Amino acid sequence: MATTRKAAIVGGNRIPFARSNSAYAQASNQDMLTATLDGLVARFGLQGQQVGEVVAGAVLKHARDFNLTRESVLGSALDPRTPAYDVQQACGTGLEAAVLVANKIALGQIDSGIAGGVDTTSDAPLAVGEDLRRILISLNSAKTVQDRLKAIARIRPGMIAPEIPRNAEPRTGLAMGEHAQLTAHEWQIGREEQDELTVRSHQNMAAAYERGFFDDLVTPFLGLSRDQNLRPDTSLEKLATLKPVFGKALPEGAEATMTAGNSTPLTDGASAVLLASDEWAAEHSLPVLAHLVDAQTAAVDYVHGGEGLLMAPVYAVPTMLARNGLTLQDFDFYEIHEAFASTVLATMKAWEDPAYCKEKLGLDAPLGSIDRAKLNVHGSSLAAGHPFAATGGRIVASLAKTLHEAGPGKRGLISICAAGGQGVVAILES
Amino acid sequence: MATTVLDGPPNMAALFARAALTSRGRGGDLPETRLARHGVAVEPAEVAAYARICRFPFGDALPATYPHLLTFPLQMALMSDRAFPLALPGLVHVRNRIDQLRPIGLGEELDLEVWAERFARHRSGATVDLCASVSAGGAEVWRGRSTYLARGATAPEGAPEADVDVEVGVLPPATITWRIPDDAGRRYAKVSGDVNPIHLSGLTAKAFGFKRAIAHGMWVEACVLAAVDNRLPDAFTVDVGFRKPLYLPSTVTLATAVREGGWDAAVRNARAGTDHLSATIRPL
Repeated sequence: MATTRKAAIVGGNRIPFARSNSAYAQASNQDMLTATLDGLVARFGLQGQQVGEVVAGAVLKHARDFNLTRESVLGSALDPRTPAYDVQQACGTGLEAAVLVANKIALGQIDSGIAGGVDTTSDAPLAVGEDLRRILISLNSAKTVQDRLKAIARIRPGMIAPEIPRNAEPRTGLAMGEHAQLTAHEWQIGREEQDELTVRSHQNMAAAYERGFFDDLVTPFLGLSRDQNLRPDTSLEKLATLKPVFGKALPEGAEATMTAGNSTPLTDGASAVLLASDEWAAEHSLPVLAHLVDAQTAAVDYVHGGEGLLMAPVYAVPTMLARNGLTLQDFDFYEIHEAFASTVLATMKAWEDPAYCKEKLGLDAPLGSIDRAKLNVHGSSLAAGHPFAATGGRIVASLAKTLHEAGPGKRGLISICAAGGQGVVAILES
Repeated sequence: MATTVLDGPPNMAALFARAALTSRGRGGDLPETRLARHGVAVEPAEVAAYARICRFPFGDALPATYPHLLTFPLQMALMSDRAFPLALPGLVHVRNRIDQLRPIGLGEELDLEVWAERFARHRSGATVDLCASVSAGGAEVWRGRSTYLARGATAPEGAPEADVDVEVGVLPPATITWRIPDDAGRRYAKVSGDVNPIHLSGLTAKAFGFKRAIAHGMWVEACVLAAVDNRLPDAFTVDVGFRKPLYLPSTVTLATAVREGGWDAAVRNARAGTDHLSATIRPL
């Protein structure tokens, strides 16, 4: 077994993210992932070539898409002999995929790979209700006409309505936003600071588009050339007019602070990142934007343990920092996924809180605060939107380019919260 | 030569009806008329429905067979006109050739022009080619040529020999099997507008001498192209010979081989091995 090496991030590609049931309403996950892979292939001249592995996934996935990534590879310009597999870790999917590819590169098992993710809330998989599903299964296995008729006779009109996938936790029955609103209340995250973070996200991303930052990160698709959710002209005043959309689970008298503005909307899109060994990149005359240095996952007991659903990254980061001998302040850029503005704010507040850091994270001293000027400098999910599995690839590619532009030796932190009380975090270095 | 520019697509069902009612007493030479439409924009949702049914990916490039859907109604209008010498009912699509000069973007405005040419003698009648040219921004981007056979018809004096055969080399055993359901014709009719009764039901097909409904040749051709779509150059020619009718339902196989930078392909009946379609695809 060879010693390990750091995996390089060569570059990325994504399609602009579209609002649900809009520009990409007719596109399937496979259509979007294939187009995104082909854009990446075109950008780095990989037509007809094999890469070590393609790893991607979708959170909302049709049963027929069991081999979504491999099928997308077979429909792409890559060599059909390129292996691929699917992963799914809710909103952590895209970053986890990048970590998996990077680890295989680090171990010398592959020399190059593509990590990605895709999601559509427009072409979502509908399931029949559980009662009807069981009847249909018994109908399928029925041997005699009589058995079949018996099965059919059990179907009631009320069973016909399909089950639409909801953005809710199976164990708590609460929408992710409801969970986040509980956490926002617990950490006393105010409406105004959430709206401020939201405005900054839109402004940062709009400015990045203006200066051409995304020119080699985004390929237009189906008439979109920018993220559809991006509102460069949004303002605190405009956001202040929006009504709260979560808060059902709040205690009496508590203020609901989360709106459609400071929460990410349902979005369709796909992203992909090309990773490789330094040698492979050099052989192909391709740049190395940054290296993926380390990564960490964590999970919290949000069901019975009194922790917030989206707080897992808060735990993952100190573990990763300790292993790398770093402090929270040793970074030039921070990418904290804006599932909700309140999530980012609660995450930072937790790291600043001495009692929480001691009792929950087991640290002697709080991790401390983050320089806001280094946070989500090119905007994040509040502006771009958040097609669940595609967000990781968006962030990895954008941060790698940001670090590369800043020069060698720069360091960036990625923090992504995910459904199920999980978190994926990583360190990138130029 | 006169070119008539139409404002919209002609109504296909009405054309079929007109053609059927006026099928008797036709003859003479091919009309020199050309039909055209300008500034045609495709509807993304319609392209998506077409892509789904032919298993094309849906994205920014039009499926290579899609412009045929745009030009076919114009060709139908030409053929159903009384001036056209052959009766439309009973015409058999025996060959199709498409030149894609470059991929066409979903949002491009297209200019269409169709005409008929090459009235030719065939051992069992006469053939005629319905041609189409598609341009974007003044430059031709796509050409189509569909050869139809009219059994028992007579080509004019001095007409050339028909050219309907597409030869493919020996192909390896097929690895792709398609189960084609009995509603394949109706489903394709819905997205393509080609409501020729021979594709719609057994009953309507029988009225035109087929024992069952048959699949649209252009649909099978589209399925073949879709199967190799990501492995085609930007500019290519696909030349397809339609052999034995593909009765619905059927199980067929697709055999492919890389040839001369392109592909040879054949769709055959899975049991009998009879050829339904042979195709050559070559870079342009």
